[in-house]
Amino acid sequence: MADRESPRGARAGGGARADAGARTGGAARPGTAGGPGRVLVAVYGIFALAAGARAGVQIATRFAEAPLAYGLSALAAAVYVVATVALALHGRTAFRVAVAACATELVGVLVVGTLSLTDPGAFPDETVWSAYGRGYGFVPLVLPVVGLLWLRRTARQGGGPGAGGGRPVGGGV
Amino acid sequence: MTNGLTIVIIVAALLVAGHALVAALRNRAMDLAQLISLGVLELLLAAQAVVGFVKLSGGEGPESTATFAGYLIGALVLPVAAAGWGLLERTRWGPGVIVVAALGVAVMIVRLDQLWSGTGG
Repeated sequence: MADRESPRGARAGGGARADAGARTGGAARPGTAGGPGRVLVAVYGIFALAAGARAGVQIATRFAEAPLAYGLSALAAAVYVVATVALALHGRTAFRVAVAACATELVGVLVVGTLSLTDPGAFPDETVWSAYGRGYGFVPLVLPVVGLLWLRRTARQGGGPGAGGGRPVGGGV
Repeated sequence: MTNGLTIVIIVAALLVAGHALVAALRNRAMDLAQLISLGVLELLLAAQAVVGFVKLSGGEGPESTATFAGYLIGALVLPVAAAGWGLLERTRWGPGVIVVAALGVAVMIVRLDQLWSGTGG
Protein backbone atom coordinates (compact mmCIF):
# COMPACT_ATOMS: atom_id res chain seq x y z
CA MET A 1 0.00 0.00 0.00
CA ALA A 2 1.33 3.39 -0.91
CA ASP A 3 2.62 5.43 1.97
CA ARG A 4 2.88 8.95 0.75
CA GLU A 5 1.68 10.74 3.79
CA SER A 6 4.14 9.99 6.54
CA PRO A 7 6.77 12.68 6.45
CA ARG A 8 9.84 12.09 8.52
CA GLY A 9 9.78 13.76 11.86
CA ALA A 10 6.02 13.94 11.97
CA ARG A 11 5.96 12.07 15.25
CA ALA A 12 8.04 14.28 17.44
CA GLY A 13 8.08 13.13 21.05
CA GLY A 14 4.51 12.33 21.93
CA GLY A 15 3.04 15.33 20.16
CA ALA A 16 0.16 15.26 17.73
CA ARG A 17 0.85 13.71 14.39
CA ALA A 18 1.20 16.30 11.70
CA ASP A 19 0.21 14.24 8.71
CA ALA A 20 -3.01 12.25 8.21
CA GLY A 21 -3.94 13.96 4.97
CA ALA A 22 -5.85 17.15 4.47
CA ARG A 23 -9.06 15.44 3.41
CA THR A 24 -9.27 13.00 6.24
CA GLY A 25 -7.71 15.04 9.03
CA GLY A 26 -8.72 14.25 12.56
CA ALA A 27 -7.29 13.02 15.79
CA ALA A 28 -4.59 10.59 14.76
CA ARG A 29 -2.32 9.32 17.47
CA PRO A 30 1.42 9.14 17.35
CA GLY A 31 3.46 6.01 17.86
CA THR A 32 3.42 2.50 16.55
CA ALA A 33 -0.39 2.20 16.53
CA GLY A 34 -1.12 5.25 14.39
CA GLY A 35 -1.70 5.38 10.65
CA PRO A 36 -0.30 2.40 8.76
CA GLY A 37 0.52 0.82 12.11
CA ARG A 38 -3.22 0.27 12.52
CA VAL A 39 -3.19 -2.16 9.63
CA LEU A 40 -0.25 -4.00 11.13
CA VAL A 41 -2.00 -4.23 14.50
CA ALA A 42 -5.12 -5.50 12.72
CA VAL A 43 -3.21 -8.28 10.97
CA TYR A 44 -1.53 -9.19 14.25
CA GLY A 45 -4.91 -9.18 15.96
CA ILE A 46 -6.34 -11.60 13.40
CA PHE A 47 -3.37 -13.90 13.84
CA ALA A 48 -3.64 -13.72 17.61
CA LEU A 49 -7.28 -14.69 17.26
CA ALA A 50 -6.66 -17.46 14.73
CA ALA A 51 -3.63 -18.97 16.45
CA GLY A 52 -5.19 -18.67 19.88
CA ALA A 53 -8.44 -20.32 18.85
CA ARG A 54 -6.60 -23.09 17.09
CA ALA A 55 -4.24 -23.76 19.98
CA GLY A 56 -7.14 -23.72 22.43
CA VAL A 57 -9.03 -26.31 20.42
CA GLN A 58 -5.97 -28.50 19.90
CA ILE A 59 -4.99 -28.50 23.56
CA ALA A 60 -8.54 -28.95 24.81
CA THR A 61 -9.37 -31.87 22.53
CA ARG A 62 -6.19 -33.83 21.81
CA PHE A 63 -3.14 -32.48 23.62
CA ALA A 64 -1.70 -35.96 24.20
CA GLU A 65 -1.42 -36.70 20.47
CA ALA A 66 1.20 -34.06 19.77
CA PRO A 67 2.21 -32.16 22.89
CA LEU A 68 5.19 -30.47 21.22
CA ALA A 69 3.22 -29.17 18.24
CA TYR A 70 0.29 -28.02 20.32
CA GLY A 71 2.53 -26.48 22.96
CA LEU A 72 4.24 -24.53 20.20
CA SER A 73 0.85 -23.48 18.83
CA ALA A 74 -0.02 -22.07 22.23
CA LEU A 75 3.36 -20.34 22.48
CA ALA A 76 2.90 -18.84 19.01
CA ALA A 77 -0.56 -17.62 19.95
CA ALA A 78 0.78 -16.04 23.14
CA VAL A 79 3.54 -14.27 21.22
CA TYR A 80 0.99 -12.92 18.73
CA VAL A 81 -1.18 -11.61 21.55
CA VAL A 82 1.80 -9.91 23.20
CA ALA A 83 2.90 -8.41 19.87
CA THR A 84 -0.61 -7.15 19.11
CA VAL A 85 -0.96 -5.44 22.48
CA ALA A 86 2.57 -4.04 22.47
CA LEU A 87 2.17 -2.62 18.95
CA ALA A 88 -1.14 -1.04 19.90
CA LEU A 89 0.24 0.61 23.03
CA HIS A 90 2.55 3.57 23.30
CA GLY A 91 5.67 4.14 25.28
CA ARG A 92 9.19 2.88 25.56
CA THR A 93 8.37 -0.37 27.33
CA ALA A 94 5.67 -1.30 24.82
CA PHE A 95 8.12 -0.57 22.01
CA ARG A 96 10.76 -2.88 23.49
CA VAL A 97 8.21 -5.61 24.15
CA ALA A 98 6.99 -5.30 20.56
CA VAL A 99 10.54 -5.65 19.23
CA ALA A 100 11.14 -8.69 21.44
CA ALA A 101 7.83 -10.28 20.39
CA CYS A 102 8.47 -9.74 16.68
CA ALA A 103 12.01 -11.08 17.04
CA THR A 104 10.71 -14.14 18.91
CA GLU A 105 8.24 -14.76 16.14
CA LEU A 106 10.87 -14.51 13.46
CA VAL A 107 13.14 -16.96 15.30
CA GLY A 108 10.16 -19.22 16.01
CA VAL A 109 8.93 -19.39 12.45
CA LEU A 110 12.45 -20.04 11.14
CA VAL A 111 13.36 -22.70 13.73
CA VAL A 112 9.99 -24.48 13.76
CA GLY A 113 9.68 -24.13 9.99
CA THR A 114 13.06 -25.78 9.49
CA LEU A 115 12.46 -28.51 12.09
CA SER A 116 9.02 -29.31 10.69
CA LEU A 117 10.61 -29.99 7.31
CA THR A 118 13.69 -31.87 8.51
CA ASP A 119 11.98 -33.83 11.30
CA PRO A 120 8.31 -34.22 10.38
CA GLY A 121 7.89 -36.96 12.97
CA ALA A 122 8.15 -34.43 15.78
CA PHE A 123 5.26 -32.46 14.30
CA PRO A 124 2.42 -34.84 13.52
CA ASP A 125 -0.03 -31.97 13.27
CA GLU A 126 0.29 -28.53 11.81
CA THR A 127 1.20 -25.46 13.82
CA VAL A 128 1.04 -21.85 12.69
CA TRP A 129 4.79 -21.95 12.12
CA SER A 130 5.01 -25.33 10.33
CA ALA A 131 6.81 -25.18 6.98
CA TYR A 132 7.40 -21.45 7.51
CA GLY A 133 3.69 -20.77 7.86
CA ARG A 134 2.68 -22.39 4.58
CA GLY A 135 -0.79 -23.17 5.90
CA TYR A 136 -1.32 -19.46 6.44
CA GLY A 137 -0.03 -18.18 3.12
CA PHE A 138 3.45 -17.59 4.59
CA VAL A 139 2.06 -14.58 6.42
CA PRO A 140 3.67 -15.78 9.70
CA LEU A 141 7.05 -15.51 7.96
CA VAL A 142 6.44 -12.06 6.49
CA LEU A 143 4.66 -10.52 9.45
CA PRO A 144 7.56 -10.30 11.96
CA VAL A 145 9.83 -8.83 9.28
CA VAL A 146 7.26 -6.16 8.44
CA GLY A 147 6.71 -5.59 12.15
CA LEU A 148 10.41 -5.06 12.85
CA LEU A 149 10.78 -2.73 9.85
CA TRP A 150 7.81 -0.73 11.01
CA LEU A 151 9.16 -0.50 14.55
CA ARG A 152 12.53 0.67 13.24
CA ARG A 153 10.79 3.29 11.17
CA THR A 154 8.75 4.69 14.04
CA ALA A 155 11.89 4.73 16.21
CA ARG A 156 13.71 6.71 13.56
CA GLN A 157 10.93 9.22 13.38
CA GLY A 158 11.57 9.96 17.02
CA GLY A 159 8.19 9.15 18.46
CA GLY A 160 8.35 5.39 18.51
CA PRO A 161 9.34 5.02 22.12
CA GLY A 162 6.67 7.52 22.97
CA ALA A 163 6.85 9.76 26.00
CA GLY A 164 10.25 11.31 26.35
CA GLY A 165 11.00 10.71 22.71
CA GLY A 166 14.19 8.82 23.43
CA ARG A 167 15.32 6.11 21.10
CA PRO A 168 15.34 2.63 22.49
CA VAL A 169 18.81 1.30 23.09
CA GLY A 170 19.61 -1.78 21.05
CA GLY A 171 16.18 -1.75 19.49
CA GLY A 172 17.22 -3.83 16.50
CA VAL A 173 17.34 -7.54 16.27
CA MET B 1 -21.36 -25.82 3.97
CA THR B 2 -21.28 -26.03 0.20
CA ASN B 3 -24.29 -23.87 -0.40
CA GLY B 4 -24.93 -20.56 -2.08
CA LEU B 5 -24.47 -18.65 1.15
CA THR B 6 -20.78 -19.52 1.33
CA ILE B 7 -20.16 -18.14 -2.15
CA VAL B 8 -22.26 -15.05 -1.45
CA ILE B 9 -20.24 -14.31 1.69
CA ILE B 10 -16.90 -14.75 -0.05
CA VAL B 11 -17.96 -12.46 -2.89
CA ALA B 12 -19.39 -9.91 -0.44
CA ALA B 13 -16.20 -9.94 1.65
CA LEU B 14 -14.07 -9.39 -1.46
CA LEU B 15 -16.34 -6.54 -2.57
CA VAL B 16 -16.07 -4.90 0.86
CA ALA B 17 -12.28 -5.29 0.70
CA GLY B 18 -12.12 -3.81 -2.80
CA HIS B 19 -14.37 -0.90 -1.87
CA ALA B 20 -12.27 -0.12 1.21
CA LEU B 21 -9.06 -0.44 -0.78
CA VAL B 22 -10.29 2.22 -3.22
CA ALA B 23 -11.07 4.51 -0.27
CA ALA B 24 -7.62 3.91 1.23
CA LEU B 25 -5.91 4.63 -2.08
CA ARG B 26 -7.99 7.79 -2.52
CA ASN B 27 -6.93 8.87 0.97
CA ARG B 28 -10.44 8.84 2.38
CA ALA B 29 -11.55 7.86 5.85
CA MET B 30 -14.28 5.26 6.33
CA ASP B 31 -17.66 6.55 5.17
CA LEU B 32 -21.24 5.49 5.79
CA ALA B 33 -21.33 3.26 2.72
CA GLN B 34 -18.46 1.20 4.10
CA LEU B 35 -20.10 1.01 7.50
CA ILE B 36 -23.29 -0.29 5.86
CA SER B 37 -21.36 -2.78 3.72
CA LEU B 38 -19.67 -4.11 6.87
CA GLY B 39 -23.11 -4.41 8.47
CA VAL B 40 -24.39 -6.43 5.52
CA LEU B 41 -21.33 -8.68 5.72
CA GLU B 42 -21.95 -9.15 9.45
CA LEU B 43 -25.58 -10.11 8.81
CA LEU B 44 -24.49 -12.66 6.21
CA LEU B 45 -21.98 -14.11 8.67
CA ALA B 46 -24.63 -14.25 11.38
CA ALA B 47 -26.89 -16.15 8.98
CA GLN B 48 -24.00 -18.48 8.20
CA ALA B 49 -23.40 -19.07 11.91
CA VAL B 50 -27.07 -19.89 12.48
CA VAL B 51 -27.15 -22.30 9.54
CA GLY B 52 -23.84 -23.83 10.66
CA PHE B 53 -24.94 -24.43 14.23
CA VAL B 54 -28.30 -25.82 13.14
CA LYS B 55 -26.49 -28.28 10.90
CA LEU B 56 -24.01 -29.15 13.66
CA SER B 57 -26.81 -29.79 16.14
CA GLY B 58 -28.51 -31.92 13.52
CA GLY B 59 -25.55 -34.29 13.57
CA GLU B 60 -24.01 -33.07 10.33
CA GLY B 61 -20.61 -31.52 10.10
CA PRO B 62 -16.90 -32.21 10.09
CA GLU B 63 -14.95 -34.23 12.64
CA SER B 64 -13.23 -31.15 13.99
CA THR B 65 -16.45 -29.67 15.31
CA ALA B 66 -14.75 -27.34 17.79
CA THR B 67 -12.53 -25.79 15.13
CA PHE B 68 -15.50 -25.37 12.83
CA ALA B 69 -17.54 -23.66 15.55
CA GLY B 70 -14.53 -21.48 16.36
CA TYR B 71 -14.34 -20.24 12.80
CA LEU B 72 -18.10 -19.64 12.68
CA ILE B 73 -17.93 -17.42 15.75
CA GLY B 74 -14.51 -15.94 15.07
CA ALA B 75 -15.58 -14.62 11.68
CA LEU B 76 -18.36 -12.67 13.38
CA VAL B 77 -15.82 -10.62 15.32
CA LEU B 78 -13.94 -9.24 12.33
CA PRO B 79 -16.47 -6.87 10.66
CA VAL B 80 -17.41 -5.41 14.05
CA ALA B 81 -13.76 -4.85 14.99
CA ALA B 82 -13.05 -3.32 11.57
CA ALA B 83 -16.02 -0.95 11.87
CA GLY B 84 -14.90 0.18 15.31
CA TRP B 85 -11.41 0.74 13.98
CA GLY B 86 -12.73 2.70 11.02
CA LEU B 87 -14.67 4.96 13.37
CA LEU B 88 -11.62 5.57 15.57
CA GLU B 89 -8.99 6.02 12.88
CA ARG B 90 -10.30 8.84 10.72
CA THR B 91 -7.62 8.51 8.07
CA ARG B 92 -7.06 6.28 5.07
CA TRP B 93 -5.77 3.62 7.44
CA GLY B 94 -9.27 2.99 8.76
CA PRO B 95 -10.28 1.56 5.37
CA GLY B 96 -6.85 -0.11 5.35
CA VAL B 97 -7.86 -2.12 8.39
CA ILE B 98 -11.21 -2.92 6.75
CA VAL B 99 -9.35 -4.36 3.74
CA VAL B 100 -7.41 -6.68 6.04
CA ALA B 101 -10.48 -7.70 8.05
CA ALA B 102 -12.63 -8.37 4.97
CA LEU B 103 -9.88 -10.47 3.39
CA GLY B 104 -9.59 -12.26 6.71
CA VAL B 105 -13.31 -13.05 6.58
CA ALA B 106 -12.95 -14.42 3.04
CA VAL B 107 -10.06 -16.66 4.14
CA MET B 108 -11.97 -17.89 7.19
CA ILE B 109 -15.00 -18.77 5.07
CA VAL B 110 -12.82 -20.69 2.64
CA ARG B 111 -11.31 -22.55 5.62
CA LEU B 112 -14.80 -23.28 6.94
CA ASP B 113 -15.72 -24.78 3.62
CA GLN B 114 -12.54 -26.89 3.60
CA LEU B 115 -13.28 -28.13 7.12
CA TRP B 116 -16.82 -29.00 6.14
CA SER B 117 -15.77 -30.98 3.10
CA GLY B 118 -12.85 -32.57 4.94
CA THR B 119 -10.06 -31.29 2.73
CA GLY B 120 -8.39 -29.17 5.37
CA GLY B 121 -7.07 -29.76 8.85
